[in-house]
Amino acid sequence: MAGKASSSQASVGGLVSGALSHVFIQYPPLRCNINESRGFYYDDANKLLISPTSEQVFSWKTAPFSPLAATTTDSISEGPICSIRFSLDEKLIAVQRSNILIQFFHRETGETFTYRCKSESENILGFFWTDCPSRDIVVVKTSGLDFFAYDYASKSLTLVETKKLNVSWYVYTHESRLVILASGMQCKTFNGFQLSSAGIIRLPKFEMVMARSEANSKPVLSSEDVHIVTVYGRIYCLQVDRVAMVLHSYRFYRDAVVQQGSLPIYSNKVAVSVVDNVLLVHQVDAKVVILYDIFADSRAPISAPLPVLLRGFPRSNISTSRSSSKESDSSEASNTNDNEAIIYGDDWTFLVPDLICDVANKLLWKIHLDLEAISASSSEVPSVLEFLQRRKLEANKAKELCLAITQTVILERRPVTMVAKVMDVLVASYSLSLKTGSYFKGIKTERTASSGPNASGLGQGIDVSTSRTDGHGKSIQEESASRVNSVSVSRHSTYSSSGTEDNSSSEPLKTSSNDNQSLATKVDLAESSTTEAQSSSSASRVPSNNPLNASVAEQQESQLSSPAISPDEMYKFVFAPIEEEMVGEPSYLVAIILEFLRSANLEKVKVHPNLYVLTIQLLARSERYAELGLFIINKIIEPSKEVALQLLESGRQNSQIRKLGSDMLRQLSLHHDYVLLLVQDGYYLEALRYSRKHKVTTIRPSLFLEAAFASNDSKHLAAVLRFFSDFLPGFQNTSDFSSYYHILNEMNSSVAA
Amino acid sequence: MGLASIGTGSEGMQLCIFDLRRGQHEGQELDKILFFFPADLPFSTQLSVIGLSEGLITFTRIFSPEAACEVIEAERHSHVFYEAEPDIWMVMIVEKSKELETIWRIDALREVLKEIHCLFMMFHGSIRALLDKEPGGELTRAHLYPFIMDYLRDFLVGKKLQLPSFRDCLKERRTVQMLTVGREAAIEVQTLVRTLESCAGNTSCSSLILFQDLLVSTTLSPEDTINLFTYAVLRLTPHALSSGASSWSYLRKGNSSLPVTTGSTLVHSGSVSEQFYGSRDTSPAGENRYRITRPLQHDKWFKGKDGFLITDIWGVDAGSSNVTTPTVWLQQTEERMYLCAYQYKSLTLILLIPLSSILSGEQGLSVVKQQLLENASLKILKVEEKLSKGWGGENAYHVSGYRYLLVDGNRDISRASPPGKVTTLTKESLLALNRLREEVDSEKSRAKWDNPGHDKDMEVCIRAKNNAWAIARITGGKELYMVLEKANETLLYASEAVEKFSNSRPMEEDTTKTEEEEFNTGPLSVLMMSVKNNTQVLINCRNNKKLLGRVRAFDRHCNMVLENVREMWTEVPKTGKGKKKALPVNKDRFISKMFLRGDSVIIVLRNPK
Repeated sequence: MAGKASSSQASVGGLVSGALSHVFIQYPPLRCNINESRGFYYDDANKLLISPTSEQVFSWKTAPFSPLAATTTDSISEGPICSIRFSLDEKLIAVQRSNILIQFFHRETGETFTYRCKSESENILGFFWTDCPSRDIVVVKTSGLDFFAYDYASKSLTLVETKKLNVSWYVYTHESRLVILASGMQCKTFNGFQLSSAGIIRLPKFEMVMARSEANSKPVLSSEDVHIVTVYGRIYCLQVDRVAMVLHSYRFYRDAVVQQGSLPIYSNKVAVSVVDNVLLVHQVDAKVVILYDIFADSRAPISAPLPVLLRGFPRSNISTSRSSSKESDSSEASNTNDNEAIIYGDDWTFLVPDLICDVANKLLWKIHLDLEAISASSSEVPSVLEFLQRRKLEANKAKELCLAITQTVILERRPVTMVAKVMDVLVASYSLSLKTGSYFKGIKTERTASSGPNASGLGQGIDVSTSRTDGHGKSIQEESASRVNSVSVSRHSTYSSSGTEDNSSSEPLKTSSNDNQSLATKVDLAESSTTEAQSSSSASRVPSNNPLNASVAEQQESQLSSPAISPDEMYKFVFAPIEEEMVGEPSYLVAIILEFLRSANLEKVKVHPNLYVLTIQLLARSERYAELGLFIINKIIEPSKEVALQLLESGRQNSQIRKLGSDMLRQLSLHHDYVLLLVQDGYYLEALRYSRKHKVTTIRPSLFLEAAFASNDSKHLAAVLRFFSDFLPGFQNTSDFSSYYHILNEMNSSVAA
Repeated sequence: MGLASIGTGSEGMQLCIFDLRRGQHEGQELDKILFFFPADLPFSTQLSVIGLSEGLITFTRIFSPEAACEVIEAERHSHVFYEAEPDIWMVMIVEKSKELETIWRIDALREVLKEIHCLFMMFHGSIRALLDKEPGGELTRAHLYPFIMDYLRDFLVGKKLQLPSFRDCLKERRTVQMLTVGREAAIEVQTLVRTLESCAGNTSCSSLILFQDLLVSTTLSPEDTINLFTYAVLRLTPHALSSGASSWSYLRKGNSSLPVTTGSTLVHSGSVSEQFYGSRDTSPAGENRYRITRPLQHDKWFKGKDGFLITDIWGVDAGSSNVTTPTVWLQQTEERMYLCAYQYKSLTLILLIPLSSILSGEQGLSVVKQQLLENASLKILKVEEKLSKGWGGENAYHVSGYRYLLVDGNRDISRASPPGKVTTLTKESLLALNRLREEVDSEKSRAKWDNPGHDKDMEVCIRAKNNAWAIARITGGKELYMVLEKANETLLYASEAVEKFSNSRPMEEDTTKTEEEEFNTGPLSVLMMSVKNNTQVLINCRNNKKLLGRVRAFDRHCNMVLENVREMWTEVPKTGKGKKKALPVNKDRFISKMFLRGDSVIIVLRNPK
């Protein structure tokens, strides 16, 4: 089944992947077909897509994203619905009925209670749940914010705190825990609060910039024009200026809001998504998306504007060959096919951070980055690598791409300076991942994943898509999902901190693997203890009987938490294969290895001894012994046993190099090998002296005796014999002693004669 | 007049080069002579010197066909022989005198001959090739004469030729002095090397990098490295350039290539030899029968505006003011190479580009130079900065208490105490060491014949008249010579000192033997044990108090950080007049943490329990 399905899918993927795009949505989407649905609501705190009917609330988990996410149903009483949000522990459902009334339902007991606005003058603009200490829900009203605590015992809300402000409208994302409140005539004066679990932080009041079309006109900023975006753990606010056709960005710091510059826009309608810390600006009217990586404060887009690609979409002509696993909805699908395929339809709603809800077709898409296409579209290799190294979501993919790019760069013999930059990027990224600890996590999950054969063949429909993922490396659908979930969990304390972003986004990755494979944990304790806390928080939200379990195991394989490339992998996947291909030109490769060593040294990263061995081989092969000598003496090639043995091997043609090898053995205190070498080279007396000094007793006396005998010098033989009879207890009783004693006597008598 | 010049000027030194294959017939003997110094000696004298040498060679060849003759010690002279090329011999005759200064080491003198020949080869190719090119020998003589004269000028001190004497016994000619660099700097240097050598496109270039007068990196074979290094130190390094700078302007004014003021004895010569060797006055290049380049000419190199070193030794391009780029001949690859030297502060870079790879001559070279400036100047800047930061100055390799010379025969590298420190040694010690070195030299050459390719180990210590120790130790092809003037009486002490020296920096490599290893095995292991196992030690202090505690940290001076210390001492209580003698009272106090300076430590005992 899987094989057939994947082959058909593959042909589709192959067809479509030729199209130009850097961002794609993967077919199939999550279908939310509910009769009598009254629209869609998105609860970004719990990552739930909610669709109420008159008496019921249907909800789907969007994280981890799966087209087969189970529908959960809760019943509520009838009435108008302005918005719905589940409480953070998902025990309560809060429904805003009107601008003065919010109703609460307990999901298990079915109990209800209501909250009503006291005064006539104020309206409820909205509400959201919070994990602030001793506060559970925040109600935003035109007169300000009300903080309530929910009392489970009395099943009622108690007012904890009120912030009096004039509010026209507000924007909140759970990801950033930030609420910004607009006020003023043009709604461009903002107050902001961050409601993290550490407490409430009030932001300084700030104004947004708006261009005027005419002298008198005063455009009013609306809530659709303001987006809160979380990228690399930093919080930005993006504001659409329709008059100037730019997107202003502001960065939030604890004590300041700083305007960061503007991005041009080419459409009246603009939407914003964030996928794997890449900012996607959808120019909805133009039906293209522009990608920005605002890590390094550069305002240049990563790539040219291109449309979003619908990948894996079965056209009607091949829908016959579609796999049985989707039979249930295949007939239906073929009918709606054409509608589904509309990109940037009018009914697309962009959900934070990376989801698209097609309201008309009741579909939910997840946005993916096509790393391959992005990396292929730029010739600026170092910056592409930098970009790839920052990707956490598809770390495996990014890593593969990085390795491939590095290989190609070297094979194409690009200028050394350029390759040097490449090495700098890779090594710097690796050392950073070492510092933040994300690298080892990656290693661990990789190891555990490979030992999990149960991964395949369990998860029906998912299996299809994941097997294709592996085969083609084109699309990875599921892997990111669980992560998105936990990212937001850990985000709470990282407000406006720039340094901890890698931590915050990578730590939770481990969590999910820890839960499943906690036995295989081999990371140091400090690491795991920090994540233990994390896992407890997220464990509660991952049900143990998760129907996606099978695919979770599959996910592990691609769950490298960091695309960083260790020096070992550098050797294994870059230098060693390249060395075989570049037989003719060792000097270029040596130059590259040097650049690698330079960056590794700068970042204090240890290099695999095999790389040194390779360097020696290359230099010796091209007979550049002078350089090799310098490399060894200046410790560019760090001493190790492997290196020493290679030097001895390469030194067959050059005695200097051989000596360097034996010196290295001595310096490394590899006494046994050194003494053996001395004996082999005929320096048996020196060997005896050395073994006496360093107490080497592991070498058979007969070796020394043979060597002495071979030199045909009776004095030396006598000396060796004497040495062993003096220092080796019981030697005089051995056969060695008697036979060589005999030989010695013969030698002496022959001399005398 | 010629005789007078020998006596005074050249300290009785004669140097001749002759070819045994030439002048076989009666009356053609003059043809043998390729070079003779002093040139103004009558031909009859020259011939008699050469005749004697030739006779000795032929005689000794009977017994030892491969290595005929090395040295002949006569009553008043020493003849040092060196067979530079098959049948081409260089002989140096030095006069023995009562003066102390004229005590030589024969091997050192032979090294001089070797150096002359190697340098000559590097610039002009082998003598035999020159002779084959022009069998008359005129060309060879015209090349040899100015070359060797220029070379000998370096030995001129006042009006005397100062050949290497016993005072130079802590130096080794024909070796390279290297700069010790850290790993990081070394990597930088090596990347610079790659950049340099890639400047000329795909051709296989070689390079040499010097910092001050020390070698940093080379990609040449050992032999070529030595030659170029010697030349660079003689003429190219900032030091060599600046020493010329003082007289530079004066020389330019004189418009004569050979300085007349110094070394008049060298210049002044009879008209006979003038004709015989051809004109030495090469400054108006075109007028000569042969265009003779004189690479060793003094004060001819200077730094151009772009940082490249330029010289007009190799002539000036007709028409343009561009100077011809020098070329050298490499022994290993047997290839002629352009020599491009670039200098930035103390850093001298020499890039050798094969002649064959650059077809357009000077034009192509200027492209390469441009490339070098564009690609490498940033790296050069960085490397220079790094090296000068790490450089310990002239006395960086001084080891206090020792005067030493280390020769690594495997790699032709040597390192010695700085000359300024060597001069503090007394004559007696130097003479003793000189004697010792001669002994070692003969031992070495014997071993070479006995057992080629096999290193001999030996160690010799001798006591000089002034009670100093002169020590030689050879292990694994590495030689260590040292003089210990302040050594104590015993041989044991001297040998221990050598051991200590070898351990601290044996052949500049074993520095990796870390302090930690020392702490783990050496006497400080007592403290190390306490740190590791958290055991107690008892320390006797110089204030006659005892400390019982645990060591948290320590260094090699026995400075310690101690924890949970009980300090114990005895006090004799002050007594009134009545009592005769009060008994000492034991006292103690507890200190939870303390720092103890190492100089107050007398004994450290491990708590046995």
